[in-house]
Amino acid sequence: METTAAVRVTGLRQRYGDFEAVAGISFEVRRGELFALLGTNGAGKTTTLETLEGFRPAGDGTVRVFGHDPYRERREVRPRMGIMLQEGGFFGDLTVAETVRHWSGFVPGARTADETLGLVGLRDKADVRIRQLSGGQKRRLDLGVALLGRPEVLFLDEPTTGMDPEARHAIWAVVRDLVADGTTVLLTTHYLEEAERLADRLAIMNYGRIAVAGTVAEVIAGQGDSISFRVPPEVTVAELPAFGGTAAGVEIDGGHPTAVYAVPRHGLQAALGELLGWAERRRLRLDGLQARSASLEDVFLRTVEGDPR
Amino acid sequence: MRITYAARMARLDLSLLWRNRTGLFSAVGMPLLFGALLLPARGEVRDGVESGLFAGTGYLAFFLIFAVFTNLVAVLTTRREDLSLKRLRAGALGDTEILGGSVLLAGGLYLAQIGLLVLFMSTVLGGRLPANPLLLVVGLLFGIAVFALLAAGVSGITPNADMAQLTSMPILMVCLVGSGVMVPLDGLPEWVRTVAELLPLSPLVEIVRTAYFGLDFTVAGAHAPVGFLAAWAACGEAFAIFGLWALAGWWASRRWFRWEPRHG
Repeated sequence: METTAAVRVTGLRQRYGDFEAVAGISFEVRRGELFALLGTNGAGKTTTLETLEGFRPAGDGTVRVFGHDPYRERREVRPRMGIMLQEGGFFGDLTVAETVRHWSGFVPGARTADETLGLVGLRDKADVRIRQLSGGQKRRLDLGVALLGRPEVLFLDEPTTGMDPEARHAIWAVVRDLVADGTTVLLTTHYLEEAERLADRLAIMNYGRIAVAGTVAEVIAGQGDSISFRVPPEVTVAELPAFGGTAAGVEIDGGHPTAVYAVPRHGLQAALGELLGWAERRRLRLDGLQARSASLEDVFLRTVEGDPR
Repeated sequence: MRITYAARMARLDLSLLWRNRTGLFSAVGMPLLFGALLLPARGEVRDGVESGLFAGTGYLAFFLIFAVFTNLVAVLTTRREDLSLKRLRAGALGDTEILGGSVLLAGGLYLAQIGLLVLFMSTVLGGRLPANPLLLVVGLLFGIAVFALLAAGVSGITPNADMAQLTSMPILMVCLVGSGVMVPLDGLPEWVRTVAELLPLSPLVEIVRTAYFGLDFTVAGAHAPVGFLAAWAACGEAFAIFGLWALAGWWASRRWFRWEPRHG
């Protein structure tokens, strides 16, 4: 039975010996969307991806790709998948074109070598041996090979690691086009910008669990906004009032005590009003005043700083 | 296993062999070297047949160790450690197609070496063509299967490519010394001969000699001429031993073979 979800993960757990790499996660990737798994190294992203790719059975829980168990029914699902692994494993003695030609023989209905190399911008490297490619060029070859069989779902494990900004933007453009054409993409990354630019939805993993998930806007919105300013010399830290119902936190920034208010969502404007009124009445100058919405980076850092389990 | 895909995998293996000078030399140079070693033995007699042909038929069997066994141990270990096996497995190929393709090329090379050596023996050494070609080919195919399975198992307990020579050494040495490749085992005590007959290469040595000479080489002492069917019957025990080793190889490969390096 085909369902609307391309990928469905329910209560997945994976352990290596005593180490629980994935500690019970659930999520869904809908057809035609790009879903990003964010997290630091060792958060369990690759293990999750490799389970979905059918390299290993689910330790506990279930994973389904187009309704199939990707490990037990690899033969059925694999031709519909494109897989970009984290590391190459291509043969250094073969040229780029030879590699693509050999690999196109391994998938039914493959794109031509020329089309594939054009897609990832490697046409001018066709006759170069793999061992002479740069890290970024190898990643592009890897993506090209993943695209050979015109996959319906694409798994990208840190697709732009080791790339210069130009190559990274080129890869993003390719991935965006694929998604526009209806390809489902699940990618892992530790570049927040990558997730912010590409993902319809994302999940942040930490110590094998999903800490936050949703659209970029939802994930950020859940985190609230922040106001900060240097504590004026006339005011003692104890005198700092609460704004928008939140008490001040104090950080030392460049030798100056700085007041920081984490304002709940939708409360930024009211809190700022209170703050400015207070400063007006006390005739205070607020140096370094900043009011800003949370960024994905704030959410990410707050998440990965959280205590281990 | 879809044979077209396994054949494409074998074609990839062939391109890689072509780029790999050391590999190419041991595939082509080794048989030439061994062939040359047979020349001085012309005219002497060993175990009732000309000694050049006696050793030559031993080599027919023994080449299997290099062409299939040590070759596959090295290839599978190297490819596991440099993640090529994982890479191949990330495509639409099935596991048996990936491994089958490599076995296909290794086995094909071995059969080509056999063809050349038989030609060399029948012309330069003045020997005959195989008396029972079908028995010869079936024996060789059994041998390829058994040693490919053993190689998959041994690769799993080989930590890296540099260690491959070391881990395949025990089987190589035991087969070279104990299977009657170079010298007949006739003079040895009964129990040693019994053990020697149970080694994985021994059935192939017996089958190859019986098929080549048309004489019963499954027994010690005098080797009586055997016809087509009698030759098969004489080799029944050898095939049974092969069968046991195939089971052992199957078990070892299930138990030890790995597609990916161990985790950190």
